[in-house]
Amino acid sequence: MRVAVCVKHAVDETELRIDQSGTPLVEGSPSKMSSFDKSAVEEAVRMRAARGGEVTIFTVGSPDAKRTIKEALAMGADKGVHILAELGTVDTLGTARLLAAAIKMAGGFDMVLCAEGSSDTYTGQVPPMLAELLALPFVGYARKIEFKDHVVDVEQSLEESVTSVECALPLVVSVVSEINEPRYPTLIQIMQASKKPLMDVPRDTLGPAGFSGGNVGVVSMSGKPMNRKHIMIEGTPDEAAKKLLDALASEGVIPK
Amino acid sequence: MTPLVWAYSESDEAANELSSAANQIANASAGQSTILEVGKPRDGVRGNNKLVLKSSARPPYTSEVVSEMIFRAAQKFKPSVILVGSTRQGREVAGRLAAKMGAGSMSDAFALRISGQMLFGSRNVYAGRVVAQMSAPLPSIATVRIGAYPPESAASAKVQEFEAGDVPSRVKILRATKKESGSIDIRKAKTVVSVGRGIKKKEDISMMEGLAKTMGAALGCSRPISSDLGWLPEECHIGLTGISVSPELYLAVGISGQLQHVAGIKDSKVIAAINSDKDAPIFQAADYGIVGDLYQLVPAIQRAFSARKS
Repeated sequence: MRVAVCVKHAVDETELRIDQSGTPLVEGSPSKMSSFDKSAVEEAVRMRAARGGEVTIFTVGSPDAKRTIKEALAMGADKGVHILAELGTVDTLGTARLLAAAIKMAGGFDMVLCAEGSSDTYTGQVPPMLAELLALPFVGYARKIEFKDHVVDVEQSLEESVTSVECALPLVVSVVSEINEPRYPTLIQIMQASKKPLMDVPRDTLGPAGFSGGNVGVVSMSGKPMNRKHIMIEGTPDEAAKKLLDALASEGVIPK
Repeated sequence: MTPLVWAYSESDEAANELSSAANQIANASAGQSTILEVGKPRDGVRGNNKLVLKSSARPPYTSEVVSEMIFRAAQKFKPSVILVGSTRQGREVAGRLAAKMGAGSMSDAFALRISGQMLFGSRNVYAGRVVAQMSAPLPSIATVRIGAYPPESAASAKVQEFEAGDVPSRVKILRATKKESGSIDIRKAKTVVSVGRGIKKKEDISMMEGLAKTMGAALGCSRPISSDLGWLPEECHIGLTGISVSPELYLAVGISGQLQHVAGIKDSKVIAAINSDKDAPIFQAADYGIVGDLYQLVPAIQRAFSARKS
């Protein structure tokens, strides 16, 4: 069983710095593996433990994105493929095209796993785009994946329902984080990860796929100020409760 | 050339919002809007024009089938913009469609408009801390944020059909189990009471239900309560990966206030929070805060609320 996992090296949304004019300082902010991706890596590593085979990590990103691949390798993945592209130079379709080209080049995967979305921009667009470009079926928002001979049964967590679907391999699956509890790698695993194979792929070696996406551009970004009152209410529980409701009534959000 | 704006969502409610979004965008640029239907038109979905997509596929339709049907119709009618409801299924339809057409896909967009040969729109990024203005050349796909547009009220007039031919699906739907949902739709509720890890056991959820009932509120929760513990159904989960709410009053009880939760409540008019930890980040996102034990405060608020009503 060969599993490809696509991960994203993302700006840490909790550490993003916003300057006084309200402009987010994306470039200088700390970055990390998109938190939801850990569930995809974990699921792949469990599949290999149960069924044998190999787990390959793919990412598109700046040189710094190597840290994310190494983290996935420390979690138990076998090798990594790093498609070099600077942050902000590819949109979702561009990213999907680069990943699809690299996955095709490596070839022979039974499953491509992704997270439902990334923790920074959460578009959820790359996984279905990837399926389309690889001409594979797609099952999104999986909370349980079960193997039966050459098909998988997947439980999809949708807004209104939980849907059970069946699909033959190979396919693309995106997982929600309740599918598993991702492991924390040990120090030894982190050290061993640096010896695992990690291949650099310059984007222009992936052919015309290396150059374009859907041209969705960011015109501008502005921080959303949190204009909240921050009024702390004190007193005994009954006093505090009464004061709170008085305040809410004068705001007009509960009946006077 | 007058722009043609299409809109599709598998959810009736979202389809009505998208119908008014499509109208608004089309009207602003002297264009035309059309609601897409798959198989047959739905009575509950309103719009000026409807295009019913037919094919060999039978319901329930997978997103794989829907995206291919829309793609084939788009090759004939050449819409400038295709809006898709930003639901979990909608994101697959949009992603596949964008890849088929080689078009850009804007995600979870609002404030959409056409200017020249471009589509412009806004969206929240970095767990709602930043608003990004985006652009994409036409034709473009956009998933539209649920709740960003009012539902369409005009009755539909013209219905046209398109035959997409043979459209296979490789994904087979075995069964769908409807998730249980609260008595009041959380998205539309004027007051939302929400509970997090401050609550110690499942049985105590009934205390929160009592408070919600007294206040005429919908009950929501942070991710751990629904996804990890399963104490409330997943459709109660408010936050980045759950639903976004914008009530008049959001009362957070025992919720620490991680960014990913706050992303789903930012547009609330007033936010009040109760937490035993005075340094809990939820207080940074709140208008009113009480530091204290929720097991004392919740009954106290319920008593005080009942006393006000009588």
